[in-house]
Amino acid sequence: MTVRTGTFPRLRLRLLLIGFLHFFPPVFLAVPAFAASAQDALKIGVLAPLSGPYAAGGTSFVQAATLAVEQANAEGGVFGQRVTMVAADTQGRVDVAKSEALRLVSREKVSALVGAYLSEETVGVMEVAAAHRIVMIVPVAATAEITDKVRREYARYRYVFRVGYSLPQWAELIGAFLSDRKVRRYAFVGAGIRWNRELGEMLARIVAPRGIAPSYTAYYSPGNPAFDTVAVAAAAVSPDIVVLADPGRNSVSFLKRLREAAPGLPVLSIGGALGDARLAASIPLSAPVYVQAAAWRGVSPAATAYVEKYEHRYGAPPVGYSDTLPYEAVTVLVAAWRTAGSAASSAVVPVLEHGGFPGVAGTYRFDAAHQAHWGTGPGALRGTFVRWERDGSRIVFPPR
Amino acid sequence: MLLDGLFAGGTYALMAAGMALILGVVKVINLSHGAFFTLGAYVAYALAGRGVQTPLAAAALAAVIAFAFGVFLGKSFVNPVRTHPFALPVGTLACALLFEAAAQRIWGPHPLSIEAGAPWIGPGGLVIRRWGVIAFLSSAALLGGLRWVLSARPGLPLRLIAEDEEIAGSLGMNVEAIRYLTFGGACAMAAAAGALLSPSGAVTPTMGRAPLLLSLVVVIVAGMDSVAAIFLLSIGLGIFGNACAWLLSPQWSYVAMLAAVCLLLSARPAGIVALAGRRD
Repeated sequence: MTVRTGTFPRLRLRLLLIGFLHFFPPVFLAVPAFAASAQDALKIGVLAPLSGPYAAGGTSFVQAATLAVEQANAEGGVFGQRVTMVAADTQGRVDVAKSEALRLVSREKVSALVGAYLSEETVGVMEVAAAHRIVMIVPVAATAEITDKVRREYARYRYVFRVGYSLPQWAELIGAFLSDRKVRRYAFVGAGIRWNRELGEMLARIVAPRGIAPSYTAYYSPGNPAFDTVAVAAAAVSPDIVVLADPGRNSVSFLKRLREAAPGLPVLSIGGALGDARLAASIPLSAPVYVQAAAWRGVSPAATAYVEKYEHRYGAPPVGYSDTLPYEAVTVLVAAWRTAGSAASSAVVPVLEHGGFPGVAGTYRFDAAHQAHWGTGPGALRGTFVRWERDGSRIVFPPR
Repeated sequence: MLLDGLFAGGTYALMAAGMALILGVVKVINLSHGAFFTLGAYVAYALAGRGVQTPLAAAALAAVIAFAFGVFLGKSFVNPVRTHPFALPVGTLACALLFEAAAQRIWGPHPLSIEAGAPWIGPGGLVIRRWGVIAFLSSAALLGGLRWVLSARPGLPLRLIAEDEEIAGSLGMNVEAIRYLTFGGACAMAAAAGALLSPSGAVTPTMGRAPLLLSLVVVIVAGMDSVAAIFLLSIGLGIFGNACAWLLSPQWSYVAMLAAVCLLLSARPAGIVALAGRRD
C-alpha cells in the first residue's frame, strides 16, 4: 500500500496520538491523583511501584498510606496544617526510584519520604534522603543494608527509620512459627530477588539451633518462573512445610503447581501476595495455606478498626504486609511530627529515636540503628500468622 | 514434568500461530498480541465469577470479543499505518500498554485466580492436570483446523496475499478486508490461548508479556510457513525449558532456551523450516 500525500496530515495526527497514548496512559490511568492542594499543607512523598511487576503491592502501599493521611486529617491535621501526599511511581527500578525521590524533595518540597518498596530501590532512595537531610520511613524493604548503614554512618543516615521487619527479625518470626508447628525440614522457594536470597540464608542460620533445617532451596526468575520443576522437586524431598517467598503474582501459580504435585503439603506464604482475600476463594486448600502478616483483623481493636476501614474504602481487606506497614509508616511519622511540634528533620529525628508510637501492630520503638523492634521477646512487635479456610481466615500464631 | 512442557507449549503454539499469520499475511509485527492473551484470561475470570467454569466456553467467548477488537484495530490503525516500518510496532505496543492500564483500572493490579480443579491421577500415580489436557487438546484442534484452512481452498486468498499482494489485488480480491479479518482472527487465537491457560496461574494486567516474547521467538525460529513446525517447536521449547530447570537450575532455564534459539538461528537464519530459494 502507498500513502497518498493527502492522507499524511491525518496519519501524522494518528501517530502523534499514538505517541501520546504510549507515554501517558500509565500517568493518567494508573497513578492516583494525590497531589497537594493547599500551600501550607505538610507534604509526604510516597514512593511505590505503581506499574510493572510489583504494581499490585505498590498500589495497596499507596492506598494504605492515603488512608493514614486521611486519618491524620480527620484528627485535625498536624499543628493546624493539613497533611497531603504526593505519590511517585518507582516502576520497581532503582534509577526511577532515585530520580522520583529527588523530584519529590526538590520540586514537590515534601517534608518526609515514605518508601520505597524493593530493597534495592530503598537503598537508592536512602542516598537522596541523606543528601537532603530529610526524614525517610521505610515500611517494607527488609534488607539489613538499610539499618547497617545507619549504624555505621549515623551522621549521614540518621534520617532513615524502618517500621517494617529487618531480615534477621523476619527470619526470627518465621523460625518461631516453624517451631510452633513442629517443623523439622522445610523447603524454601521464591522469586530470585535480593531479599529472598538473603532471607533464605538468614532463616537457615536462625533455625539451625532449633533442629530445623532446609531440605530444598530454589529461586525462580520472576520473568520466567519454571514452576513445574521447582514444585515437583520441592514435593519430592517431602518437607514438613514449603516457605513460599514471593511478593508477586507468581505465588498463586506456584501454589497451584505445588498442590497438584503434593496436595497435602502445607505452605507458608511470606511477602503478602497470598494474604489477598480475593484469591483465597480460588486457591487450593487441600492442605493448610498460612500467611504471615504484620497485623490482621482480630489481633487488636486498632488492627480490626484499620482492616474494616480499609475494606470499607477499597472493597477488600488488606493483605497485612504491603499495605499495613505503609499505613504504620505514615501513622508513626504524623505522630512524631505532632510530638516534635515541627516537621523539621532536626526536631523529628530525636523524637523518633526516643519515643513510642502506637500503630495497628503494636507500639513502635526504634533501636540505635533506627530499626523497629520486631521479634519474639518482651515488648517486641510479634506479627501474625493466619491460616486460610474456605469461610475466611483464622489466626494461628502467636498464641493468643 | 514433560507433560507440563507439552501442555503449556501446545497452548503457546496457538498464540504463536496467530503471530505468524499476522506476520505472513499482514506483514507487520503485532506487539499487542500479548494484550489479547490477557483479554482472554480476563474473560475466563469474568465467566468463572458467574459460575461458568468451562475453559472451552471461555475460549469461545474470548475469541469472539478479541476478533471484534482485532478487526477494529486492523481496520482503523494497522491497515493505514502498516507501510511505516517503525510506526506499527510502536503503535501496537502503545495499544498493549493502553490495554494493560485499562485492565488495571477495571480489575485492579492485584492477581486474580480461577479455580483449576483437582488433577486426574493416571497409572502409577501420574498426576495429569485437567486444565492442561483441555488446553492442549483444544489448541491442537484449533491449530489442526488452521492448517487445514491454509492448505485448502478457503485459505487460497491468504496464501496468495502472503506471496504477492499486487497479484491478489489484480485478481479482484479485497486485500484490505482480508488483512484486517486475518488480524482479527489472529487476535482471537491469542485470546483463546489466554482463556485456556488462565486456570494455570494468576490473572494480571501484564500476564501477556511473557507469552508475547515466547511466541515471537517461536515464529522467528520456526518461520511462518508451517503451522506444524510452530506447534512442534512450541512444545519442544516447553519441554526443553522444564528439562533445563530440572537439570540445571530454574533460573537458568530461560537463558538456556534463548541460547538454544540463538544457536538455531545462527545455523538457519531464515528459520528452521524456511524453504530456501522459494521466492525469487
